[in-house]
Amino acid sequence: MPAQGVGLSARLRQLWGRLASVQGVTTAVVFIGCGTLVLYPILFLLLESFNTGDPVAFPPERLGLGNYRDLALDLHIVGNTVLVASLATIMAVSFGFLLAWILSRTDVPGRRLLERLIELPYYMTPLVGALAWSILAGPKNSFLNQLWRATGGQGDLFNSNTAFGIAWVMAFFEGTVAFMIISPAMKSMDPALEESSRILGRSKLQTMLGITLPLVAPAVLGSAVFVFAEMLGSFAAALVLGLPARFYVITTAIFESTFSYPPEYARAAAMGFALFGVMFVMFSFYRRIVSRGVHTTITGTAFRPRAMAMGRWRWMLVAACWVYVFLAVVLPLAALLLTSFQRFATVMVRESVFTLANYRTALQLGPIRIALMNSIFLGVSVATVGVLIMTLLVWIIYRSSVPGRGPIEYLIMFPQAVPRMVFGLAMLWAWLNIPVPIYGTLWLLALAYFTVLLPLGVRTLAVVVLQIDRSLEECARMCGASWAYQLRTVTVPLLRPGIIAAWLLIFMASVREVGASIFLMGPNSKVIGPAIISSWMSSGTELTAAMALIQTATVLIALVILLRSVSMISGESQW
Amino acid sequence: MVSRSSLASADHSPQMDQAAAEDLAGAPAQRDDGPRIEVSQLVVRYGDTVAVNDVSFSVRRGEQLALLGPSGCGKTAILRAIAGLERPASGTIRIDGELMHSSADGIDVLAEQRGISMVFQSYAIWPHMSVFDNVVYGLRVRGLDPATVAEKGDWALDLMHMREYAQRSASKLSGGQQQRVALARAIAFSPNVMLFDNPLSNLDARLRVEMRVELRELQQSLDLTSVYVTHDQEEAFAISDRVVVMNKGRIEQTGTPEEIYNQPCNRFVAAFVGAANLIAGRVQKDSREPGRIVFEMAGGILLQGHAQHAPQGDETQVAVRTAHVTLAAPGVADGPNAVAGRIRRRLFHGDFIQYLVDWPAGELVVRRPPTDVFEEGAGVVVSFAPEHCILLES
Repeated sequence: MPAQGVGLSARLRQLWGRLASVQGVTTAVVFIGCGTLVLYPILFLLLESFNTGDPVAFPPERLGLGNYRDLALDLHIVGNTVLVASLATIMAVSFGFLLAWILSRTDVPGRRLLERLIELPYYMTPLVGALAWSILAGPKNSFLNQLWRATGGQGDLFNSNTAFGIAWVMAFFEGTVAFMIISPAMKSMDPALEESSRILGRSKLQTMLGITLPLVAPAVLGSAVFVFAEMLGSFAAALVLGLPARFYVITTAIFESTFSYPPEYARAAAMGFALFGVMFVMFSFYRRIVSRGVHTTITGTAFRPRAMAMGRWRWMLVAACWVYVFLAVVLPLAALLLTSFQRFATVMVRESVFTLANYRTALQLGPIRIALMNSIFLGVSVATVGVLIMTLLVWIIYRSSVPGRGPIEYLIMFPQAVPRMVFGLAMLWAWLNIPVPIYGTLWLLALAYFTVLLPLGVRTLAVVVLQIDRSLEECARMCGASWAYQLRTVTVPLLRPGIIAAWLLIFMASVREVGASIFLMGPNSKVIGPAIISSWMSSGTELTAAMALIQTATVLIALVILLRSVSMISGESQW
Repeated sequence: MVSRSSLASADHSPQMDQAAAEDLAGAPAQRDDGPRIEVSQLVVRYGDTVAVNDVSFSVRRGEQLALLGPSGCGKTAILRAIAGLERPASGTIRIDGELMHSSADGIDVLAEQRGISMVFQSYAIWPHMSVFDNVVYGLRVRGLDPATVAEKGDWALDLMHMREYAQRSASKLSGGQQQRVALARAIAFSPNVMLFDNPLSNLDARLRVEMRVELRELQQSLDLTSVYVTHDQEEAFAISDRVVVMNKGRIEQTGTPEEIYNQPCNRFVAAFVGAANLIAGRVQKDSREPGRIVFEMAGGILLQGHAQHAPQGDETQVAVRTAHVTLAAPGVADGPNAVAGRIRRRLFHGDFIQYLVDWPAGELVVRRPPTDVFEEGAGVVVSFAPEHCILLES
């Protein structure tokens, strides 16, 4: 039929008309660029995982399933991984649930301050936690064992270099994650649901178990799945605490096989890809739970959030929160601080020799100083360039009507399901084998940071973009503004709070990055995260503590600026 | 359908073929008398749902047209398609004879190049700019020199009585003030065509009535050609020259406010616009011409009615506006369509009294001025003029 022919050519012309615009070209470049950055390394990893020939040869000489079959030989590693992840998940979700309930549903004093403090461990990173707890509770001469012996105890009471030790350290980090997932669900729950239970004669405890818990169950289950998946891919704590005791989980096993001689890339790739597969399924599961759970707790009608009066109990509850803050923030930081100012780490103040030498070394010694500078430089440039590209990306995904937005949104969220260190391995393998000479330079690290931080930046910006009423932008178009003019005069200024937040979050994440960096840095492109680990393994505890504190301080300064600017912005909007 | 084809001719926009339309576009002499906005066979889809289904209408120069219908009827989709914010699935849109969209030819002029202005339901006031910067945005986009920008900005602000707020931050305005700024911004760059998307729906009732008057005066003093979307029939009637009533993506009826109110063509229009009694029965066989008809309702009572279309014989309803029914004590009034009934319930509303009257066809709702007082339980005679008893299309 001729009409059909006309329809097709018209549609092609329409498509071409859409693509040939500024917006079309930008969209194509951004989509293809980001898509390549995410997919290319993963495909390389997949290919390598089937390589049964010479593991360092490329392209593979022989392909087969041998590497996956060999996973069965490493069953104890899988067992270790599941054990650590389960222990940490149970602890983290219990902490997170209790803290979320106390701080959003009861009338304990100082809730706002506590909420802030509970978020801190997340910014302190598992690496810092692991170092601190190793100083506090490591085997032999750790602080707690020193105290135990000083008070008449025999032998070593504490040993952090165990499955429980790793889980303990990670529980404080992931506890914050669980708290951040469960807390919004608690806050969005209509208090009338709890109050009617009280009016019908149930006690506070019965109400919490019978009403609150089932209502937030999707969020609790969701947080458990999320934390477990993250734990499977967690690396730094398992490395610092597990390696000295030859206790391996899957991520540290991947690390070992890559840096052993000869490197077993193929085995590492198979482990990495299997891990990616499991995590991917779990994160998809998490998304389904969360999207389904939303409807159950949020009522359509407006309500005032009200807290339950807890009477005398409130002091016990608030004490529980402070104990958590003490264990997760105060104690580890205090241990690191004390160590960093001593010549030999000891908790016995009488025996201490205090010195500033560790900080002097950390800031002056060539390699360490360069690593620190590199990290800050990378943080600033990745954040600046990244935020620009991500803003475009977010606008295109959530605001424009170009085809392919759905798949690209899915694609750029991919790196969240890939453990950092697996992604680092994939990039290592991918960039070693193409003739672009960026391996061993800061360029490769910058690309890696950008790619693994895509989900973080895009999610942060998306929240703000979705809050901006679409008509604000449409109105600019109706006033005659082109797309670029509208972006410059309306969209970007309105996005500023989100852009600042995304910039600082990406900066912080870059400065504390470990997993991807450890594979990708070269002799001339050292960064601070891996430098801390190698200092821990080769130099003294005291210098390492100083380095870790300098890194933490950099991140915390950025965090303070972030909180300041966010509260300033929300304060502004109240007027 | 009968109503739609009769509408098309009332529109003075007979559907022309592609070639004839092209000729019209190329002839400036004809353009001046021709319609300013022409929407032809428009279809808009959101995914699998069809929001607008084969809609055609036109707006004359200086005419104010209202699109009226319940939420989800497709009226906003039409407005957005005219603006260029929504891409139609098929159909054509012309402004001043120029093709703005033609799905068949793959033409889709960008929103910013159509020279249209629009007032949004949410006002869309940019919170990060001052009132003045908001208003002159369209002037600055066009690269006008600062003196002209200032002059035109002040003119628009004066028109909306917002001059004194010029340097205020736009985020510190009340709803009514934001509405005025939005209007000033929309007219500042002297657009040919204005689109209004539910502009008054976020204002409180008193302010809305005030703004209606002001908008009507503004449109007429500037001789604007406009399309106005609303779900409020009072607003649509008060503000426009012609009303298009829409339902489920299709046009139900087009006409002046008086025509729509007095002669609803079908059940939907009668029920959605104003309050009407729908009386069941059937049209008498000898009524086959538009005009006076006889309608047999329950109890074999014959009503004198009116038909705008040639009755097909299968019509089963007439509509009588609640305000068009008079009540009288038994024996006082007589005439066509005088039927005995009994007051069942009297509801005092202030500006009017609503009576529920039992009569042979069940219940009749009657709205009378507060001076017409009848007791509950009293016998009455209801009556209405034949031209207010409208035969509805089946």
